[in-house]
Amino acid sequence: MEANGAAIDALNLIRSRLCNPNSIFRSLCGSPDSNYSKLKSILSTSITEACNNSVLLLGPRGSGKAAVLELVIGDLLLEYPDMITVVRLNGLLHSDETNAFKEIARQICIDRQLLFSKMASSDDNSQFMLATLQECGLKHKTLVFVLDEFDLFIQGKQRLLYALLDALQSISSQAVVIGVSCQLDVEKLLDKRVKSRFSHRFLLFLPPSKNDLLKLVEHALYLPIDSSIPQDYAVEYNAKLDAILEDRRFQEIIDSCWESYPTIRHLMKFLFHAVSSLNLDSGYLSFENFKAALPSMQRQPKTESLRDCSVLELYILVCMKRLEVKEQSSYNFSAVMKEYKSIYGSFHTPDYYGQNVCLRAFEHLLQCGLIGFTDDRGGHNQIIEFRPVKLLISLSELIYGLKSYNSCPVHAILYIQYQLSDGYFTSIFKHGSLLTIRRSP
Amino acid sequence: MVKIYTFCTSSIMVKEESLKAAKRITPSAYSAPTIEKNSAVKSKKTVDLCFPLLSDLVYGNPISLDALLSTFPGRRTQILELIQLLGPLNSPTLPLFVYGVPSTGKTSIILQLFRHLNRPFVYSSFRTCYNPRNLFESVLNLLLLHHRVAANGYSSTKRCDKLSDFVDFLRDALTSLIKRLKDDVKNSVSPQSVLPIDGYMIYLIFDHLELVREWGKSSSMLQFLFNLHDNLNIPEVGFIFISNLAPDMFCSNMTYVEQIPVYFPSYTEDDLRQILLRNQENQKLYSSFLNVVLRPFCRITRRLDELSPIFESLYMQYCKPIGDPSNVILSEDMKRRLYSNLMPHITSARNETFRVLDYAAPGTETSTKFEMKGCKRKLESSKKSDELDFHMSISAKYLLISAFLASRNQATLDASLFDSSGGSDSRKRRRKTPDKVKAQQEISEDDLQTKGPGSFPLERLLAIFQCLASVAEGSSDEDGGSDDWLGIGGESAVVTSNILLQISSLSNVKFILKGGSCPLEGSVRYRCMVSEDLALKVARSLRFPLAKYIYRR
Repeated sequence: MEANGAAIDALNLIRSRLCNPNSIFRSLCGSPDSNYSKLKSILSTSITEACNNSVLLLGPRGSGKAAVLELVIGDLLLEYPDMITVVRLNGLLHSDETNAFKEIARQICIDRQLLFSKMASSDDNSQFMLATLQECGLKHKTLVFVLDEFDLFIQGKQRLLYALLDALQSISSQAVVIGVSCQLDVEKLLDKRVKSRFSHRFLLFLPPSKNDLLKLVEHALYLPIDSSIPQDYAVEYNAKLDAILEDRRFQEIIDSCWESYPTIRHLMKFLFHAVSSLNLDSGYLSFENFKAALPSMQRQPKTESLRDCSVLELYILVCMKRLEVKEQSSYNFSAVMKEYKSIYGSFHTPDYYGQNVCLRAFEHLLQCGLIGFTDDRGGHNQIIEFRPVKLLISLSELIYGLKSYNSCPVHAILYIQYQLSDGYFTSIFKHGSLLTIRRSP
Repeated sequence: MVKIYTFCTSSIMVKEESLKAAKRITPSAYSAPTIEKNSAVKSKKTVDLCFPLLSDLVYGNPISLDALLSTFPGRRTQILELIQLLGPLNSPTLPLFVYGVPSTGKTSIILQLFRHLNRPFVYSSFRTCYNPRNLFESVLNLLLLHHRVAANGYSSTKRCDKLSDFVDFLRDALTSLIKRLKDDVKNSVSPQSVLPIDGYMIYLIFDHLELVREWGKSSSMLQFLFNLHDNLNIPEVGFIFISNLAPDMFCSNMTYVEQIPVYFPSYTEDDLRQILLRNQENQKLYSSFLNVVLRPFCRITRRLDELSPIFESLYMQYCKPIGDPSNVILSEDMKRRLYSNLMPHITSARNETFRVLDYAAPGTETSTKFEMKGCKRKLESSKKSDELDFHMSISAKYLLISAFLASRNQATLDASLFDSSGGSDSRKRRRKTPDKVKAQQEISEDDLQTKGPGSFPLERLLAIFQCLASVAEGSSDEDGGSDDWLGIGGESAVVTSNILLQISSLSNVKFILKGGSCPLEGSVRYRCMVSEDLALKVARSLRFPLAKYIYRR
């Protein structure tokens, strides 16, 4: 099927584009005052004019720091072949300085086709690194250190940072240290001597403007005309996409997705989810794809967990809420059982179960995360029945969860009693699916 | 009932059929595909293990989409959503996070889905890989197609402890494997492997992710896994995380780009009915059984792994009046008869301890675990729970009773219960307690209900123990003595090291817990975690009148 095959190719193309951050951020690199150009100028000055430099890239997770850095390095490697050596360290993996020096030495060896010995000690590795720096300085080659998760290098004594930045201070070396971090105030955590050697250059990755955002979406979703995809299909697809992009509802969806978490990669995740539901028979995107993908970005996890609860678990939650309303500051499972018995005594509900069954339901609730223990330290001092617990959901969430419990049998009666701010007691009776409110002064 | 996941992360992977047999043994309620496999594998063929095949990476025996959808009732939307997210062949994908309540079919659906798609995957579960080294080595073994056999001493290919090593090895293994798969795709004219593999993308599946949270705060495994997709930067690798907990329970100090969530809600009653009706020979009988039991038990729990053992035993009860279940004609009268026969068992089953041996919720301990018997216990034998089902030495039993009394009673009552010469007070000296003291004692009784067992210092425990031991020695002398009695503590007031060893072994099994130090003295206090039922059982086995010593209002 011609259209089907073309649709699959188009889907593959767009999906690989959305999964690859580099291609997305390429579209933002045009303007001269973008972070891309600034970073490129910093690096190229240090390459051409043989000076040392250090810079920090800061911004929330998913705003494109690593992607822009990769683009810059890729372009510079094309422009100045054989003049740059890149060493990549990651704070998760190499925060320990012995590990870090070993990794630096290993990457330098790979770059220069030298044999790397695993038995070399940390001192040997650091000496090797300094020697390489000197050598690079003499040959006018630049050594670029990329430190991902920079905030994880700051734990401890920061010996690695000190060694690197100290090496930059000597005249004979030619190196650039680029740190990438999500913690915006990471500079305050730097050690005094590390801070003095750092050049205090920051590049902030802020969320792009509205226009840039729309340009990004277009760039991500449009099909190129002159590729292997059949031309008339691509033109038709782009035309349909134009109609969707101009739709006000689509812009509202993009706005709501952006407002919840304003990073580009989050938006790309949403677009990926929408595009993956492309109807392969028709082969064109429609507004429904985007609308269907929106709930996965706006999940309500506690409501989902509440819907998964059984009736007994809901009873236990309601008992805990009643105890909270009675202003018992801390209560445990045995107090909840007492309340449960009193509910049974006063309202004669058909659901009355033994202590063991209720304990099991209690453990389920703990696993789901709807309730939690308040004592983390004294966890191993007491049995589960006597440890203080608290509700981790609010009253409105609980009521919403009770309302949306759609398989509630006719005789299920759940009672909540809470005190409104004006001093009236209001009881909410739930009888089947009806909700009647009765006020009593 | 224990679910056995014998996924071959670290066991021998033989051939495809025995591979399937070793893959999963699921409860009979929803095991339609595995039942076919299990019956197919009666004869294990010996296989030459020298040639690890690329086809080890796929499930084998692909099934059609309709078979997949019919195997899992009620999961149509989730299956279709997963297929859409995984995309067409060789299409890169963002990491997926599959979550839902336990026993909603997440693992089985994902694996059967990969069977349907016939794409290579590497499965590892945090239930079998209990520390980082296990995880790293099992993933690398699977990627490098290495079998741990007797020939190489069951060793892994590479020894991998650290995260940085793992990333390097993983990158190398993945790139070489992808290259091999791509070459195979190009040379698809002459297939090397027995079964064709679709595509060159490899999917890494990590199951039971919630167990990683218990590895401790110092382990950065979660952050590492969630950032692995970015770190590796290989577009031909897909990640799927499966967990019982929603992604927001995995908050940590370090942020990460979130995965795409796929939610598996728990089954509705209709779905449960459909699932439970499968593989039953007599559908009509079972469905009339379900009409009776499903609704009341669904109010307690909707988890399939808890309902199926209960229903199994209840169904046996239900069918008892009928001689031959295959020939029965279900009239209304018959149904009513069966129902009335079953009713008392339902009410007792509703209040029974759940017999599922499940993993404990994080951070909890329960002493009632020791009271749970094995899964073979029948409903009628609940009378037998009066006996202890584990063995303890006599001195340990006395220590346990003393600890229980020390936790249960207030220290002020010791004087009235035990007299100073070391024996128990035979005549109850009724001192007139003033009202204030009485009120305090009532408050302490309430406290016991809400705050749990009290704490006591070691000296008090030993004092009570000596009192009880002397009482027991006295009574055993009257009975003519038994040969088992070794004169524990009765001779002298010296605390022997045996007693202290017994105390430490009791605290090892968590009958006695340390904690709650007194702020004034600074000494360590202990707390007895045993419930009253167990203490009475222990006392009964010693023929010790424990009830006399428990203070009740």
